[in-house]
Amino acid sequence: MILDTLKKDFLLFYRNKTSILLPLLFFFLIVSIFPLVLGPDVNLLMKIMPGIIWIISILTTLLSSHNFFYDDLDSGILDLYLTSKVPLSSMFFSKIISCWVVTFVPLLIFLPIISIMYSLDAFVLMILLITLFVGTPTLIGIGLFGSLLIISLPRNNILLPIIILPFYIPVLVFAADSISIASSMHIISPQLYILVALLVLALAFLPYLMSLTLKITINN
Amino acid sequence: MNIKRFGNLKFFYNSFITLFSYLPILVLIGFIAGIYWSLFIAPIDYLQGHSYRIMFVHVPAAWMSLQTYVVMAVSAFIVLVWKVKIMEIISVQCAPLGALFTFIALITGMIWGKPTWGTYWVWDARLTSELILFFLYIGIMVLYASIQDKRQAVKVTSILSIVGLINIPIIHFSVEWWNTLHQGPTVTKFDKPSAHITMLLPLFYMFAMYQVYFILTIVKRIKLGIIERDSQSNWIKELSK
Repeated sequence: MILDTLKKDFLLFYRNKTSILLPLLFFFLIVSIFPLVLGPDVNLLMKIMPGIIWIISILTTLLSSHNFFYDDLDSGILDLYLTSKVPLSSMFFSKIISCWVVTFVPLLIFLPIISIMYSLDAFVLMILLITLFVGTPTLIGIGLFGSLLIISLPRNNILLPIIILPFYIPVLVFAADSISIASSMHIISPQLYILVALLVLALAFLPYLMSLTLKITINN
Repeated sequence: MNIKRFGNLKFFYNSFITLFSYLPILVLIGFIAGIYWSLFIAPIDYLQGHSYRIMFVHVPAAWMSLQTYVVMAVSAFIVLVWKVKIMEIISVQCAPLGALFTFIALITGMIWGKPTWGTYWVWDARLTSELILFFLYIGIMVLYASIQDKRQAVKVTSILSIVGLINIPIIHFSVEWWNTLHQGPTVTKFDKPSAHITMLLPLFYMFAMYQVYFILTIVKRIKLGIIERDSQSNWIKELSK
């Protein structure tokens, strides 16, 4: 079941290739705008680049998770999921994965190229990639959960960040911590393990919470 | 007495009318007495001088901000599991009060920080997690306000506040690790509180006054919520005549 949903989502995204390109372009544009605002000082940019990448990741997460369920809602697939015998939580588990893959996998592949523009250290880049790899699925999961909470509302772009940004803070703090430790001491810090723990926690409980939310928001 | 009667909104409304009509004045007098006690009677602090006295407003507000969240999340849990009507109203009405307590704690903390730390705001662990708690309250209020169907809004905000309750320790732990400048706990140490008893007594008195204020206000808000919720029923229509 999980594989079937994944296959369907990937097929849809494959047919509509701009939807994969758009987050990437968005990411690239904002990364290039930061030096224009902050000045071309290489040392400063090198220092704050991981933080910038994380902030843009949050923006990307918010954008993509906000729109992710609307197609399914409009075409009535969400109602069908509700009536089907397959457990809803497994469906949402695969939704988290597919949303993450289409949003962040292209981005993770292109990140080394972007980091050249900021002359980022190779080790720091590796740690940045690892934190993004284990941190962004949690963000996507929380974002999808938040977008289900407000799915019955008229489309409102500013509401979702207000509701779910507080929940992003642990992931952000631990990711930023491990990056700063990596750049100052060149070691892999224990904060990375906590990021993984948060990911496991999110993947274990969020699908269930999402199915509970869907039952409340759609049934009326 | 049957506990199930508390699920009945009319019974709940009527049973608190007489009990709470004279309390606001008592609470006001109690607060004035507590402020007099903490501003003039309590001894001056050896290190911080008179500026520490804002603690008597600040610390109970910070405690109440957490307690209100727990009350809200527990009643949200009851809403989702047992679907008790009165709990729906309680969980909704807790959020503005909690936001108020958080706001008081933040503002008084900033005022205290200027003479003590030299700045109004530092990105310290406790300040940050209190600020995030404020954002959580705001998010819950905004979510409730923006969903038109209020039955659905209650359930959705209940889910959000329960998830928030799980998240609060994680947030606190994460920012604690991130940065700490705030003074450590002085009251709840396991061996012996490091504040003197003449300072602790007015603090606990103020905390008790905050509790009474919380109960008083929440009951008032619950009554308003009952009227809002049951506005189509006959007994409210008779009441408004």
